[in-house]
Amino acid sequence: MFGFLKKKSSANTAKDRLTIAIMSDRESTHYPFMDEMKAEIIEVVKKYIGVKSVDIKKEVVDDVEALSIDVQLDK
Amino acid sequence: MGIVIAVISGKGGVGKTTTTANIGLGIAMNDKKAVVVDFDIGQRNLDMILGLENRVVYDIVQVMDGEAKMKQALIKSKVNENLMFLAASQTKDKTVLDSEKIKKLVEELKEEFDFVILDAPAGIESGYEHTIEFADAAIIVVNPEVSSIRDADRAIGILDSKSQKVKDGEDVQKHLIINRVNPAMVESGEMLKCDDILDILNVPLLGKVPEDRAIIEASNQGKPVITDNNSEAGKAYKRIADRLCGKDVKIPEFVAKKGGILGLFKGMFK
Repeated sequence: MFGFLKKKSSANTAKDRLTIAIMSDRESTHYPFMDEMKAEIIEVVKKYIGVKSVDIKKEVVDDVEALSIDVQLDK
Repeated sequence: MGIVIAVISGKGGVGKTTTTANIGLGIAMNDKKAVVVDFDIGQRNLDMILGLENRVVYDIVQVMDGEAKMKQALIKSKVNENLMFLAASQTKDKTVLDSEKIKKLVEELKEEFDFVILDAPAGIESGYEHTIEFADAAIIVVNPEVSSIRDADRAIGILDSKSQKVKDGEDVQKHLIINRVNPAMVESGEMLKCDDILDILNVPLLGKVPEDRAIIEASNQGKPVITDNNSEAGKAYKRIADRLCGKDVKIPEFVAKKGGILGLFKGMFK
């Protein structure tokens, strides 16, 4: 009763805030192995072509997680 | 060969040590051999919860450094002889932990016990990574509260990148325990529902434990709450331990107890 008078429950607010905070945490999380992986990728690419830098980003779209790897070549 | 389970959390104070003690005892009550190991070096606490603080002579660091034999350091539970306990060092700090030594220790325990349960430091602390490194499975303990859940997600991220099993291309099993659920608050929309937490963290639920005064009372006495048959939290831990031992036990929904003046008042208006 009086449900229509109530403002949004605080649990729902918590859920919304958490969902957003965790999404951004996960995106920005550079896992501890990232630097190692970067260095190895540079080594591999270097064998064939000059490389300036490697950038790895984790992307989450719905349920699919992907790593996007950006290799900048050294001219 | 036993299974190694690390009990982890993001932030401290969510009930990891209580969970470790109760699950260990619950497994022992299932006639399985279990050992609970306090990995929170420098912050020994599991001994108090088990009521064994007066029996600690040697600790985990001394075993790892070869200063004591495993047999000398293992302490038998007062309540159930299937449960053994290995204490954390109180004087040293977490930096003494070393991967090779931990691996050796864990493997030795695996030979002897069906379940090796490691009470980890909180996920943000050093020493956490070492505890999870050689675990086959992890139990993540959270409270229905924003900071606990957010930090748990980060701890899970570290688990996924640092675990030896994951590095070997295998999966590290994950189980979630939602601790300190207050059913009345959930009903009134003031506390996150378990389903919401599962949606956010995306880890399968192992069990829910209600907030219960009996937990403090149990820790006062050094007797894990699972030995208290009248306590709701104790019963919840019993169910969790049974599930870990392969029994098919349902996870019940908690209902708020109607009682007291407030409960009566609410009841009148329903």
